[in-house]
Amino acid sequence: MSTALLEDTKLSSIAGRLYRRQNALTGLVFGIGLAVIGWFISLNTVQSNENFGTDMTVAVTMACWVIGFNIGIGTFNAVFAWVLGHDQSREDELYGAGVGQGRSRYFKYCTDHKVVGTQYLILVFVLFFIGGALAMMIRTQLLTPNSSFLSPQTYNAVVSIHGMCMIIATIIMVSGPFANFIMPIMIGAKDMAFPRLNAMSFWVVVSAVPPLIATFFVGGVNAGWTTYAPLSVQDGPAMICFAITIITFVVSVTVAGINTLVTVLTMRAKGMTFSRMPIFVWASVIGGGLGLYAMPAFLLAMTLMVADKATGTSFFVADQGGSGWLWENVFWIMGHPEVYVILIPPVGALMEVLSTFSRKPVFAYKMIIGGMTGVAGLSIMVWAHHMFTTGWAPDLAGPFMLTTELISIPTGIIFLCAIGTLWRGSNWVRLPMYFGFLFIWNFIVGGVTGIYLSDVPADNYFHGNMFVTAHFHYTLLGGAMIAGTAGLCYWFPKVTGRMLDERIGRWAFWLIAIGFQVTYLAQFYEGFKGMPRRVANYDPVFQPENLTSSIGAYVLMAGWVVLLYALVSSWRNGPVAPANPWSAKSLEWHTQTPVPLENFLEDPLVINDPYGYGGVASEQIHAVFGANAAAHHSANEGDHA
Amino acid sequence: MSSNQPHNDDSVLEDLAPRVDRDLHTRHVRGTALLWLVMTIGGVLCGVYLTPHLMPQMFAKEGRDALLTVQVFTVAAAPVAALVCSVALYSLLHTRHRMSLEHPPKDGKPLRGNAVASGAWLIVSTLLVVFLLFWGLAEWSGQQVVHANALTVNVVGNQWVWNFEIPAQKVELEGDKTLEITHPISMSQLNLPINVPVNFRVTSKDVTHGFWPVNFGIQVDANPGVTTLTHATPDRLGKFVVRCSQLCGLNHAYMYTEANIVSDSTFQAWIDGGATKPISTVTAKGAA
Repeated sequence: MSTALLEDTKLSSIAGRLYRRQNALTGLVFGIGLAVIGWFISLNTVQSNENFGTDMTVAVTMACWVIGFNIGIGTFNAVFAWVLGHDQSREDELYGAGVGQGRSRYFKYCTDHKVVGTQYLILVFVLFFIGGALAMMIRTQLLTPNSSFLSPQTYNAVVSIHGMCMIIATIIMVSGPFANFIMPIMIGAKDMAFPRLNAMSFWVVVSAVPPLIATFFVGGVNAGWTTYAPLSVQDGPAMICFAITIITFVVSVTVAGINTLVTVLTMRAKGMTFSRMPIFVWASVIGGGLGLYAMPAFLLAMTLMVADKATGTSFFVADQGGSGWLWENVFWIMGHPEVYVILIPPVGALMEVLSTFSRKPVFAYKMIIGGMTGVAGLSIMVWAHHMFTTGWAPDLAGPFMLTTELISIPTGIIFLCAIGTLWRGSNWVRLPMYFGFLFIWNFIVGGVTGIYLSDVPADNYFHGNMFVTAHFHYTLLGGAMIAGTAGLCYWFPKVTGRMLDERIGRWAFWLIAIGFQVTYLAQFYEGFKGMPRRVANYDPVFQPENLTSSIGAYVLMAGWVVLLYALVSSWRNGPVAPANPWSAKSLEWHTQTPVPLENFLEDPLVINDPYGYGGVASEQIHAVFGANAAAHHSANEGDHA
Repeated sequence: MSSNQPHNDDSVLEDLAPRVDRDLHTRHVRGTALLWLVMTIGGVLCGVYLTPHLMPQMFAKEGRDALLTVQVFTVAAAPVAALVCSVALYSLLHTRHRMSLEHPPKDGKPLRGNAVASGAWLIVSTLLVVFLLFWGLAEWSGQQVVHANALTVNVVGNQWVWNFEIPAQKVELEGDKTLEITHPISMSQLNLPINVPVNFRVTSKDVTHGFWPVNFGIQVDANPGVTTLTHATPDRLGKFVVRCSQLCGLNHAYMYTEANIVSDSTFQAWIDGGATKPISTVTAKGAA
């Protein structure tokens, strides 16, 4: 360390000293404090406008909460320090990475990617619990045709927030925990490219959650998670809270996406060429990159929505020159790629699981990458298939039917690679593999029902009915979330340092697998019979299917609760995990558990792809470390000389 | 083949003789092919015989098109879906290390790709997509035929009721008959004569609604500020439900009404009677 740097230590202490005093509690205090100030000021200024006053007040209050929370947790420390001409010292950075702070580092603005990954994992559990509880309320309401368990207003609010909560949770369920914790280790990096932005991406999502919950206390969102205008413009201030959540969330996803891309582009270990990268790394890059394209449209749409509601613009209000179709277009330009932002990372995780547990290389490595890229590329051109029945541009029905059906070709490639990997494998059916098989079945059902919906004449019957609900739950819950669960069970020993209790895990699996089929096959039947979506009460002719679906949903939820129990109890008391319990080849399994700060005691040198199962001896080794790496390197140099 | 013992022997032999490997390969292919055949037949039978029972009786060609599409697409998808499921199921049945906590003693066969399999898969899936596309386009263009002599019905969505208006008009019917509407009719139920093509002009007074006369198999949104078009020709007597398919606020669930398809003589009688009485009572009179 140079003397210049030592001198800097004293100067640096502004940001550093701040970090040492900040945690989630100071974030909360600052957030609430600034929100109260913002509320008070706007109450005395803009509130008097009788058209928009309340909406403006809520917008200011919620924005102040988000900014205040992030000031309190430390998001802006480094920026403030730079403005003052200071940088952080080595000690500050080590402190920021959570060194020597035990569990309290999980409540701080911690830059260690493994801490951020774990924080994300807990947040995902919380969001799934909230979303799941709301789902149970929906299914309880629908037990009987004329149930009054929830009022229509509450029901709509519950449906809307169930949707948005689950969308947020599924977007971050793999790209949060595993693309942060596992992916950098997989490529042999010491951390993410931008550790502070990494911490930021997490705490910004955290600050986005309270406004979402707050919607329930200011009238509830009436318009579903798709918040079609002009219904949403008609909504109360809850819509403002909802928009603030989305805007904040998009900031987080964008920051995280850039971080993932730059990390993979610049931080790979020596020898980790693109053709040696694990599929999961590719999936994280493609998913993150697609998010960079898709999510800003959501931010834009929601900003215009806030403007319409709180300042009297009329982007989406027809009688003042706006158009609801504008909202629908911008929303689905985000909304369809977003489905694949959710899906691609879990599929990457699933490929790792299939390869490891069938003890085989992934089948057709380059085709998988091509398939995922093809899906991502086509997904930006299919958005208007959500609008076949809106009456907007009927002449575009054909082109959008084409692009939508084309996407089944790269999706089919992913299936081919999955079954090719299983074919003649030496299958080792541990818990992750259970979920792997379940994914294949669910995603087949989701895919086949998707082609009905891609067909305009068929969509004219199925659109807006329970068939669509069942279809996208088969793809997002039965597909993405089950694949993500496979990934969770696979990486659990590395993340927690404990082995997962698979006996309880198998109980959970069967409850989930059976409960899921019952719930959503019944909903397909409701759709065939013509039951519309998003209704609080329904015609008694749909009673048997709804009862069946609700019972299935309770079983499904019980399965998730049992799985959560297995996860929590194993995390606390499970047997200590060895470094590489699955004899897998990728780098994350070839460092200690728990993973040390900066991940590797000796730098890895990658010499093969991580799928050398069953191959010749020279293919079997993915990477060598330390002295071996030096020897290997000099041997290769010798070859060249 | 059913016990675990021979597999372990096989795996040793696999290394020893390529011929044994070939035999094994043939056996795996045969086993999977058998599963595939059973599943494909199951899927095709489901597509042909099960799906018609899932959907209600349709009152227009468009609805029957939707049903036919479901049947055809199920049959078309069955072999592909069955292939994926049969390979997955076969490898599960032949799992050598079920629930074992020990590592498998031996890795699987290192297949890193297969040009023939990948190529065949790509060609088949592309052909299927082309078929789906042409099927959809053909059916869709078949539904675009606009009849010159059609009854115009204005549909207005309003939180949370449907209103239908039949403007004054004269429609030439087949067989030199004419349907004459001398003054505009406003109705809360969708009353239509059978076999008369109908053009729906759909709009909304407030938020977006989804005009969904369920058993016609057509849908179009009712958007404020614009008029969207759809059409159908009812070809069956009876009644069904018109629903709203787009979340439209508090009482979205209750935004439905009845559609009555009656004979053109009954319809004419109902109009001549001032179009104020429920059309079902008119039918009763006509019968008496």
